[in-house]
Amino acid sequence: MKYHLITLGCQMNVSDSERVKTILEDKLGYQWTDDEQEAGLLGILACSVRQKAIDKVYSRIHAWNKQKNKRHLITFVSGCILAQDKERFLKLFDLVFSMRELPQLPEMLSQYGIANPAGLQAIGYGASEMPGMGPFWNITPHYESRFEAYIPIQNGCDKFCTFCAVPYTRGREVSRPSEEILAEVQSLVEQGYRSITLLGQNVNSYGLDKKGAELRFPELLQAIGEIGRQSGQDFWTYFTSPHPRDMGDDVIDVIAAYPVLAKQLHLPIQSGDDEVLVRMNRKHNTERYRQIVSKIRSTLPNATLFTDIIVGFTGETDAQFANTMKAMEEFRYHMAYIAMYSPRPGAASSRWADDIPHDVKKERYHVLSSRLAEISHDHLQEMIGKTYKVLVRGKDRKAGYLSGMTEGRIVLRFPSEDEQLIGQFVVVTIDNAADFSAEGKLAETPQVIEHV
Amino acid sequence: MAYQSSIHSGDKQRKQPGLHAVVAVEDLTPTAYILRFEREGMDFEPGQHILLGEAGRSQMREYSIYSGKEDPYLEVLVREVKDGLVSRRLRKLRPGMMLKVEPPVGFFTLPFQRLPHDRFLFIASGTGIAPFHSFLRSYDDLDYTLVHGIRYSNERFGLESYDPERYITCTSRDEQGHYQGRLTTWLQQQAVEDIAMVYLCGNYGMILEAMDILRTKGIRENQMHAEVYF
Repeated sequence: MKYHLITLGCQMNVSDSERVKTILEDKLGYQWTDDEQEAGLLGILACSVRQKAIDKVYSRIHAWNKQKNKRHLITFVSGCILAQDKERFLKLFDLVFSMRELPQLPEMLSQYGIANPAGLQAIGYGASEMPGMGPFWNITPHYESRFEAYIPIQNGCDKFCTFCAVPYTRGREVSRPSEEILAEVQSLVEQGYRSITLLGQNVNSYGLDKKGAELRFPELLQAIGEIGRQSGQDFWTYFTSPHPRDMGDDVIDVIAAYPVLAKQLHLPIQSGDDEVLVRMNRKHNTERYRQIVSKIRSTLPNATLFTDIIVGFTGETDAQFANTMKAMEEFRYHMAYIAMYSPRPGAASSRWADDIPHDVKKERYHVLSSRLAEISHDHLQEMIGKTYKVLVRGKDRKAGYLSGMTEGRIVLRFPSEDEQLIGQFVVVTIDNAADFSAEGKLAETPQVIEHV
Repeated sequence: MAYQSSIHSGDKQRKQPGLHAVVAVEDLTPTAYILRFEREGMDFEPGQHILLGEAGRSQMREYSIYSGKEDPYLEVLVREVKDGLVSRRLRKLRPGMMLKVEPPVGFFTLPFQRLPHDRFLFIASGTGIAPFHSFLRSYDDLDYTLVHGIRYSNERFGLESYDPERYITCTSRDEQGHYQGRLTTWLQQQAVEDIAMVYLCGNYGMILEAMDILRTKGIRENQMHAEVYF
């Protein structure tokens, strides 16, 4: 039997999909197909971050249910699902389960079609009634890549940012046991993985839910640093995403101490205006953010800095947006993921008027993105003539080129058709720069290599 | 109908974790009430909030805990929202009916290590007094001033829990408060030099305005903690 799985949303869902594939392929004997038409099992890992993503789920299931008249087909949905959508999905999909329940998927599939009391109870339940995350985390994932891997270290979120529905879809913050995380890191390092990304909604509050009975995030990073030191292997460890509220100096100090901890930080600011930050319930202000960036720049002078920004949040005035522009100027990000605000169903802000006209949001998006492009270009110009270690990730869109990224996740390409290099570190000298990417040539002899 | 692995029904509800039986709904004003429910061993830090809703329904909302750390039950202070999906239904619950409650979270808590002479200024509007009520039922050694912005004097929720010498009401629609007018106008007239920490809870507009005033009076960012009620 063949299956097809659609994964929507963030890296967390991509990581979850790797464990879903393990269950389907190793436990149930399903085979992957790219073609939905030949699949007997169709699934979606949903994302509730934006209405558009949820609309996609409804669109697919309506199409799939039409096919049910013509062929035997089982459908399922999991991922980030709001309670109100879950109630609707129960009527549309054959199986609806949370990631915590993934280990029971074989049982659910074997019972599917048999009338049972559970199947007749279409009522949602809270996170505290679900099974723990342990059995899910213990599933060995089918990593999508042979050299880059995601490792979930935490599930859920306690922060309740008003624009976000994650606390309502994934529940409270739960930390995965550090011994499991470190065992997974050790295994990946032994297999020669080059890039490892620790995943969580607020990675730097890792361990705090265990009230002293678990490593804290800087201690977890240190343990990974030690794995790197003892293995002698060359790899980069990233994490996403941290919340400024819990970002301590100790995290930055430990990154400085270990070469395998990548000198790249993704620190979401969301807005450069203190009043908007209060309304977003971010629990930090621009001054606190400034202190963190100052610590990063003094301790990790070569680190790249990425961020997330929302423009056009409910009630955002021109003056408040101007403060976000100032933040862009001050923090000089290497990359920013800028989003026009749209209410996310289930989040607190979805109950407020979405009162910034779309044209205004578009204009703010355009102005901020343009300035980001200029700043990014300036950063890349400074790289010209310098030589960097690069992880080769695949063939570039430009024929005859391979593409990769530096330790600081700066994307670049270089002329080569040697696909054996994919998944390897090479050394590239930069000779050209665009807005968000650079171009260079393989360095023929080892030279002084710039960090990041 | 889709297969789902958990069941909710009848007596089984009581045995499931996360479900708490309602003890009482105590009406305070036409738009505010206390929802009291079984504690079921739940521990919390005063100032934290919980996510709760009616068992068997999908909608849940965050509410600050109103009761004290040692109280045998849990309480939340609820403002009934016109056309609200949760607050109106919760008010109709009767003793024995079940609530779905997720564990306490949040950072609007007092510092673990307080200096003996630290003075706190607590600023609340409306039902934003809930976390302060929890503080004052939990700690009996606090040196505090609690300022409460309300419309009418019948909104002095939990009056018996506060030291009358330390509780100041600012009423905007009647003359029964210590100060008649807006809380922020009262604040502008006060000296705050000896305050170690300021905690603010309530609506967004009040909090931002109060923070601006406090800054002009020399209160630093790291002395202010805010919990916004949306």
